[in-house]
Formats: sequence, C-alpha cells, structure tokens
Amino acid sequence: MSNNTFFALVVRECKRMTSRPLYLFCMIIAPALVFVFFTTMMSNGLPTDIPVAVVDEDNTSVTRQVIRNLDAFQQTEITAQYNNFAEAREAMQRGEIYAFYYIPEGTTEQALASRQPVVSFYTSASYIIPSSLEYRDMKMMSEYASGALTRATLYAQGLSEQQAMAVLQPIKIEMFPVNNPRLNYSVYLCNTMLPGILMLLILQITIFSIYGEIKEETAKEWLSASDNNIIKALTSKMLPQFVIWFIMTLLYMAIMYGYYQFPLNCSFIAMLIPATLLILASQGLALFICAMVPSLRWALSLATLWGVLSFPISGFSFPYIAFPAPMKALSFLFPLRHYFLIYASQALNGLSWHYTWINYVFILLFIILPFFVVNRLKTFLSEYHYTI
Amino acid sequence: MKWFIDILTVWFHELKRIIHDEGVLLFFFVVPLLYPLLYSYLYNNEIVTEVPAIVVDDSHSSLSREFIRKVDATADIKIIGQCADMEEAKEMMHHNNAYAIIYIPSSFANDIAEGMQTSICLYSDMSGFLYYKAIYSACTEVSLDMNYDIKAERLGGASERQIETFSYPLAYRYVPMFNTQSGFASFLIPAILILIIQQTMILGVGMLAGDERERLNKGETYYWTDNIKPVQMLFGRAGAYWCIYAVISVYLVCIIPDIFHLVHIWQWKTLLPFMATYLTACVFFSMALSILSRDRESLILVFVFMSIPLLFMSGLSWPVQNMPLIWKILSHLFPSTFGITGYIRISEMGALIPDIHYELTALCTQSVVYFIITCLLYRRRFRKNLHTADNNVC
Repeated sequence: MSNNTFFALVVRECKRMTSRPLYLFCMIIAPALVFVFFTTMMSNGLPTDIPVAVVDEDNTSVTRQVIRNLDAFQQTEITAQYNNFAEAREAMQRGEIYAFYYIPEGTTEQALASRQPVVSFYTSASYIIPSSLEYRDMKMMSEYASGALTRATLYAQGLSEQQAMAVLQPIKIEMFPVNNPRLNYSVYLCNTMLPGILMLLILQITIFSIYGEIKEETAKEWLSASDNNIIKALTSKMLPQFVIWFIMTLLYMAIMYGYYQFPLNCSFIAMLIPATLLILASQGLALFICAMVPSLRWALSLATLWGVLSFPISGFSFPYIAFPAPMKALSFLFPLRHYFLIYASQALNGLSWHYTWINYVFILLFIILPFFVVNRLKTFLSEYHYTI
Repeated sequence: MKWFIDILTVWFHELKRIIHDEGVLLFFFVVPLLYPLLYSYLYNNEIVTEVPAIVVDDSHSSLSREFIRKVDATADIKIIGQCADMEEAKEMMHHNNAYAIIYIPSSFANDIAEGMQTSICLYSDMSGFLYYKAIYSACTEVSLDMNYDIKAERLGGASERQIETFSYPLAYRYVPMFNTQSGFASFLIPAILILIIQQTMILGVGMLAGDERERLNKGETYYWTDNIKPVQMLFGRAGAYWCIYAVISVYLVCIIPDIFHLVHIWQWKTLLPFMATYLTACVFFSMALSILSRDRESLILVFVFMSIPLLFMSGLSWPVQNMPLIWKILSHLFPSTFGITGYIRISEMGALIPDIHYELTALCTQSVVYFIITCLLYRRRFRKNLHTADNNVC
C-alpha cells in the first residue's frame, strides 16, 4: 500500500512540475543553455589573435622584422599601427586594442652602437586574461629580439649555439603546468562554474517547489496524501527533481569530459559520485534553509546568496590562500568549495579519494542536514500561511 | 500641467508601494548595499602572495641554496619544505596543500661552473591560474637576477654598464596600465557593481509587477484605473525606479571604490551622462521584462543565474573578439554588456565621452527600443484590464 501512495505522490510532483513552464525553463533549458554558452565561448582554450597595436617610431628593417615576429604569435594579432604613444593609448581607452608595443626613434641605431636602447610594451591590465597573455608574448618577443643581437655577436666570436645560450642565460626556468599543459582556460573555469550554476538552480527550485505548496495552499493536502509522514512527502518531492538534476549533471560531464576532452585523470564514475553528492547536498541545504527560514522570500534570498557566493568562495578563480581569515572559515559552509577540492584532487591531479575524504564528509553533512529539522519543516507546512 | 501632475501622482504611489514591500526593499536596497561589500572584502587582498611551494634540491650547492633563499624571499612564494626526491615532494604537496615543486637538478652548480646552461624545473598545480602566474614570475625574476651575477663573474672586470649592454643590447620595459598591480578586485569589482544595478532592478521591478498580477488575479483593483493613460503610468513608475537607483548608483560607483581603494579616475562630466543613460536603459529593460512575471518570485529563478553568463558576455574575462557570433549578438540585448565595458573604461582607464561613443549609442538605442516595447505592453495590459473590470461590473 505504502508503495502505491509513494508512487502517487511522485506522479503528483511530476504533474506539478509540468504545470508551469518555469520548471521546464529552470531545470532543463537554462542549465543546458549555460553549459553550451560557457563551453562554446571558450572552446579554443585560450583566446587567440588578441588585437594589439604597434607604435614604431624607428621604422627600420630591423624593427619591422620584430613586428612581423610578434604578429606571428598565436595569441597576438597586430590590428593597427599608430604614429605616437598618445594615439595608441586612446585606442586602448576605446577598447580597440588590449596592448601595444612601443619602439622609440633611434632604437636600431643605438642597438648597433651598443648604447642599449629601451623598447617598452603596455597592456591594459583592467582585462586580466588578455593582459597576461600579451605580457607573455611581448616579453618573449623582447627577450628574443635582444638575444638575437647578442647571439650574433657571440657567433661572430666563434661560439656554438649551446655555448652562446650558456653565456646569455646561465639559468633557464622550465615550467611544467601539471595536467593542463596548454593552460586551457575553459578547463579551469567550466569544471567549477557549470556545477555551480546547476547548484544555484537546485537551491532555488527546491525552495520554490516547497514554498509553492504553502503559497498555493496545497501543503495540507500534500501532507495528508503522504499519510502525514514528512519524510515520505519530502522524498517523493525530491526524487523526480533529483532525476532531472542527475540527467543535467550527466549532460555537463558529457560535454566537458566527453566532447571537449577535459583532463579526467580518474574514472568517470569517480567524478560522477561527487557530482551526484553535490546535487543531494544542494537539495539538503535548500531543505534546511526552508526549515530554518519560514518565509519564501527570505528563504529564496538566503539560498540565492549562498548560491551566488559559492562561486568566489570556492576559490577556483581568486585563490583561497588570499582570502581574509573569516572568509576562509566561512568557505567550509559551501558545498561547491568541497566539490572544487575533490575535482582538483581527483580529476585534475589523478589522486585517490583518500586525499579529500574530509571534503566528502562535509558534503555528506549537507545531505543529512534536513533530517535534523524535519519536524520544524512539518510544522511550517501545516501551519504557515503565505503573506506578501 | 494636469498631465504632469498625473505622472507625479503615479511616481509618488509607486514609491509608497516600494517602501511598503519588504521583498522589493530587499532587492532595491539591501542587496546593492551588501553584495559589493562582501565581494570587495573577499577580493581585497588583490593579489596572491606567499604561495606555498616545496623544493627538491639535488644539487646541494651554495648556488642552489642561494636560489632557494631568494625565491623564498620574494613576496610571491613561500617555501614550506624540502624533500629528498620528487615522489616524496608530490606526496607532501598533496598533503600540505602546496601548489608547486621547484626541482633543482644535481648538475645545477657543476653546469654553471663549467660555463654551460642549466635549468630549473617548476611543476605547478593547475587548479588556479593565479598560482601559476605567481610561481612563474617569482622564479623567473630570481633567475634573471642570478644570471646577471653569473655573467658579471664570467666577464670578469667588466663594468656594470658593459654587462648590462652585453646581456641586453636591447632593453625592454613592461608597463601594466590602468590596473597597475593587476589586482583581482580592481579587475572584477567594477563589473560586479554595474551588473548589480541591472540585476537587482530586474528582480525588484519584476516582483512589483508580479505582485500586481497576483493581486489582480485575486480580484483586487489597480490604484490607478481612473483616467491615467498608460504612458503616464509608465513615466511615473520609470521615474520612481530611476530616482531610487540614482541614489544607489552614487553609493556603488563613488563610495565603494573609495572604501576599497579600487582604481577610479573618472571625471564627473563623463560619468554622469553615462550612468544616466545606463540607468534609463536598465529601467525600461526591467519594465519590459516584468511583463513575464506571473508572480512575485518567478523572475528571481529566471534571472539570478543569468548574472554569471552576463558577466562573461561583457568581455571582461574572455575578449569579445574571441566570442562566437551568436553570443555576441545575444549580448547586445542586455544593458549590462555596454554598462560594464563603458564603466570600466571611464573609471579605470580614464576614457572620455568620444571613447565610449559605441557603448553610449548602444545604451541609447536600448533605452528607446525597450521604452517602445514597454509602452506597447502597458497599453495592451491597460486595455485588457479595463475590459475585465467592465466584465466584473456586468
């Protein structure tokens, strides 16, 4: 008998979900669009052909060669040449270029006379990504140009290339970005952002669906249909939603690890488990907020705050170690932070789950959170009335 | 004159409605006041310093120790331990949350003594880009510094100037402009400030519209059914939202950057007309959208998650030139796209009106288009309501 009522409740929930286009939009269309948006936008991994300019006041065959070499870098495209510094700066303020390379008059002549001329490059640091990429390219170009001149002298003195390099640069730094050798920007953003957006929607939809019962004054009917058993009522409500969230999770994982081949140095299942736990943790957190904040508006606002704050506080963009101490402490209260650590450890660095067991414990805590407050929730559902 | 007084009446009514609605107050005042504080506080350190790193020193020479000492002394890196081999170092890195391993090969000091080139290997954790940047730049700086000393020794007796000219016949200089320390708060916060204006306005206005719709469904009437034309309604309400956000904007774009020492070099004569246009575009945009709002809360679900794609659409982190065409076109629908780019240029880069010509034109076009759409929608709804009111009477 009890199985039948449970099934009936699940059917009831499915009908509720299909009754409003809002659910369809927030649970399927919106997340799918966002997944496609982020992955297609950054499908190159790194921006290519960033527009930059050159101010070549010297204009000799040597400087023209330097400019051609700079243009050959994959990340850089020289879109304009300006006559002076001010023109280039104005183009930057108009947003037409992200950086420019400045070669003052007499550079070639001074270099040939060993009088060490100075070239300079300017990047628009308000845009951090293009700015650091251009910094890298232009610095490399300058090192190369300078090295080429010395090398010519050293070769003339009869040194081999190896010997010349040893004279030029006795200590060389070799950088190995572990497991993301191309510095793919999409890998580092999407792996946390996509689950984060799904989590935000889970928090909101869960609260909206529970308080929808209060607002539409169907809460009592819902409870009595589940034999006044709050656990049964909640599970039957969360289950169909969970199924959809799970499908959406599979979708983003398929896009990231399947289609775009993001680094996945553990098995697919090993990553699916924390992703699934993240869904449950979000639902748990949402139910907990529902029980603790007896008002649709405030519960929704609190969940939204939690969801939105998850992004910066998970530390995938601005790193955790640079947070102020209170924020470091606060970050433990965000499931996405734990998910991010698990992802970095398992999928990126290929470590076993033992290394992040503590984060699993935290996520599990979020999942069992609502069980401590079910009675409180039941009271609200049976007694609370929606007020504007 | 009567026409104008009617608008003022609507304006006043709308303000009263806002003040008496806790939910709307939350979006119009509490969120714009608190979120920027929270975000700015979180990012206030601007840059990453003292990234924990581990050293594997196979060279055990005074030169390798010098390198380690110098790296540890930089602001970017903090050496938290030394290991005998790479395996041990990896283990330690994963247990102690270090983000890099600096490996100095056994041949390091010998190579230098023999006048050969030698290399130091850096293995960096890629869970965050800023770690990579900090580790790379710190070690490069130290190596350049040590290279200089080594060259000086080799060229024995050469003057400083000679060494300098020898190693860099062409010297170069890097100048990061506008956000001079490449700080994260200065990069992100201005965009968030501008986005908050649009997003909270959509939520608040949406809630007011949803509220009206719910009341109407319950059989309550509008307060304005007497002789006020839809256009007057529209102006009155738009005026109310505009005035509130004018105050909020002063807080967001003048006070917040001041408190958190973000770069703000705008001039009044540029900022004022720009913000006024942005607010106008936002007001009509949210009013047009509010038609979608069937109840008080639904727009929250539809619009909050959009904040993150909207932030990216502005081209702040991924250059617009590299965006697929479809997203570029889509981004033109939202005032925030132009609001963010325009504000960053004015505030951080010191742009003047001619520099943000494109953004201003786009915002003006949006204002006009959304104004017309809102007009049409208001007229339709107004007629429909008169209809239902008549039916009720019958």
